[in-house]
Amino acid sequence: MVEAFSSLYEGILIAITPENILYCFIGCMVGMLVGVLPGIGPSEATALLIPLSYGLDSVTAIIMLCGIYYGGMYGGTITSVLINTPGEAASVITCLDGYPLAMQGRAGVALKVAAVGSFVGGISSTFGLALLGPAVADFALSFGPSELFALLVFGMSTVIGLMGKSLIRGLIAVCIGLSLALVGMDPISGTIRYGFGIRELVSGLDVVTLSMGLFGLSEILVGMENLSVAGKATAINSSKLLPEEVRPTVMSIIRGSFLGFFMGLIPGTSSAVPALISYSMEKNLSKHPEKFGTGVPEGVAGPETANNSYVGGAMIPLFTLGIPCSPTIAILMGAFMMHGMTPGPTLFITNPDVIWGTIASMFVGNIILLILNLPLAGMWAKLADVPSKLLYPVVLIVAMMGAYTVDNSVFGIVVMLISGVIGYVLKKLDIPLAPTILVFVLADMMEQNLLQSLKINSGIGGLFKSTTALVLLIASVVVITFSLIAELKNKKSALLTHDE
Amino acid sequence: MKRVFSIFLVLSLFLAPLAFAEDAAAKFPEREIRIIVPYDAGGASDMTSRIIATGLEAALKGTVLVENRSGGSGSVGMTYARESAADGHTICYIPVELVMQKILGISDLVPEDFAFIGRLTEVPAALTVKSDDDRFNSVDDFIKYAQANPGKVTVGNSGTGSIWHIAATRLEEETQTQFNHIPYDGAAPAVTSLMGGHIDAVTVNPGEVLAGVEAGKLKVLALMTEERDTVSFADIPTLKESGIDVVIGGWGAMGVPKDTPQAVVDKLSAALEQAASTEEFKKFIAERGMIVHYMDAASATEFIDEQAVFFNDMLSNMDLD
Repeated sequence: MVEAFSSLYEGILIAITPENILYCFIGCMVGMLVGVLPGIGPSEATALLIPLSYGLDSVTAIIMLCGIYYGGMYGGTITSVLINTPGEAASVITCLDGYPLAMQGRAGVALKVAAVGSFVGGISSTFGLALLGPAVADFALSFGPSELFALLVFGMSTVIGLMGKSLIRGLIAVCIGLSLALVGMDPISGTIRYGFGIRELVSGLDVVTLSMGLFGLSEILVGMENLSVAGKATAINSSKLLPEEVRPTVMSIIRGSFLGFFMGLIPGTSSAVPALISYSMEKNLSKHPEKFGTGVPEGVAGPETANNSYVGGAMIPLFTLGIPCSPTIAILMGAFMMHGMTPGPTLFITNPDVIWGTIASMFVGNIILLILNLPLAGMWAKLADVPSKLLYPVVLIVAMMGAYTVDNSVFGIVVMLISGVIGYVLKKLDIPLAPTILVFVLADMMEQNLLQSLKINSGIGGLFKSTTALVLLIASVVVITFSLIAELKNKKSALLTHDE
Repeated sequence: MKRVFSIFLVLSLFLAPLAFAEDAAAKFPEREIRIIVPYDAGGASDMTSRIIATGLEAALKGTVLVENRSGGSGSVGMTYARESAADGHTICYIPVELVMQKILGISDLVPEDFAFIGRLTEVPAALTVKSDDDRFNSVDDFIKYAQANPGKVTVGNSGTGSIWHIAATRLEEETQTQFNHIPYDGAAPAVTSLMGGHIDAVTVNPGEVLAGVEAGKLKVLALMTEERDTVSFADIPTLKESGIDVVIGGWGAMGVPKDTPQAVVDKLSAALEQAASTEEFKKFIAERGMIVHYMDAASATEFIDEQAVFFNDMLSNMDLD
């Protein structure tokens, strides 16, 4: 522990040289920007900037590239809140309460709690990375296919809480998500499913393209109907939390920090998973779960904290074992190699300056991002006041550009437009979209891990052999049972009072 | 006079494309060149291409960009490259998987779709297990255990039909064993799963397990190469030394769409040779557990045709479960 502090001190000395602060700033800015732009996520931006980092000192280069990663987590929030179009997968869940808040003229609140949550998440997980690093690395490895499958089942079970008023409609949404996830190559046998002879479908559908259509485009289509009827319902435009909102928001940030960090350790998850679980956890712990989805700040703060906290956790397997936990980390690993370093335990011995300089720079970067984001929140929030007539075409263009850049092909635009129309129809039918997209995210990983677990253990036994898996599966059953009971109760009272 | 003129006209019609081709090569590159990598950024093929891109920039005095178009076991990127303008401004990183695409039913890509400008690397396979796995201290231990426990030894690979899956299957065939093949989405997750003790072994490139070996979590039992490695794995025996005749691995080449003018292909080929012979490139490849083995356009084309026949024979006799 003492050793970690003295190393961290050395690291801070490296991180606060003017050059490193400058490149940290550049990285954070680029990250925020690509987070805002749908389609280009942090992984693409990191890949693009790797060649530019050749001329830099290796520590400076890694500091900049890491900045892109966590900077992107801040940026992704902005479009989710303002135009209901997630900039990257981790921010899908932010749409659920962020956008309603913006509709009430409280976009500033959403953006500020997200910025503060992101900051707390980022800082606390960086501390976790610095202090716990190697000690928790083995925990990460204990998650094999069986454990991951159980974790994803748990994630899936919490989706039930997002289903809105009708369980049937929620289940329809889940089925749509599952079917969409089946498109592409079967992970075990390599058989192509629902390919229709279209080459681009072989690798499956892209989550960002899909969610831009389902959330963003369908929102525009619905909005178009009311365009001539009335303007926007912006009224308060306050960026302050109400007194009764402070406590749940603070608690959600604290919980999100822990959750994100531990999920980061587990290889094979993505930053969307902790965001989803955080949202469901907040909803289940809340005194007023029915308000979730109508614009509650803790519904934004928890997930946004968790996806930032995830970053620090995900660095641990990379630094200590050379394991890339997420696509962006994989690219970061490539960057290390391009600079002549092999991520893994030897890195602490051969290049301690790089490791500790990078860790220390994450403190610097998070502070920079907080300073950038708090005043900007107000500015961004003004965007919500732009008349729809002007905003919609811009959003449409941004979304089309984003869909193109995902694979550099027009096919992405087609997928985005089609899913926009599907999203519109589903909205008209009152089928909630959040379960669709979240099941889509989880199903892919879930299928692969289940099939692996079945194959490794020659049957279903593996799921019950591992204590971790068993605990998670039991927890899922408990969550499902409780939400079903709660849903049915709501239904009954709704029927009795003839509300609906 | 009129007659002379028409002869001249006809001749010029025939000669014009030739003159134009000469011209195209002289002017090439007219704008930036793109290398299409059919896999995600950060992997071995991506890094190889990025290093080569800097070498090509120096050789051609132009800009060379790397573009990742992943998906469908490489078919998305390679098909995209095949259908790009055949003017040399689109180059494609060609992995071994090209020759298997059609046999495995992944796509209709065949080697004839490309004009190869050279081969860069060999990507060997290695048999790796957990370092604290006392059952396996040598290849012999491993094979004997597998023979005694058919279908019990779990071997991870980077996807069904991937070169590492085929490597494990070759080992099975040669030693009359039967493994339980576990496909992962790429080599890295398979290696992670091995480190956690969820599977018994992997048969991926030694570069992929280097960090795990350095961490003391993994040990390489054997390389599936003709000769021993000279850099990071010098003390690891080959399968051949243990009397198992399995030499298998991937390779990385560069190609352009098949109708690219010969003069442009030649120019690119010369530039690629220059880029592949830099010390930086050699060092980088060697440290990653790969081997620089450059082949010029003609040898690469011959080699890839042989590989197509080889894998065609092998895969049609092989039961990939």
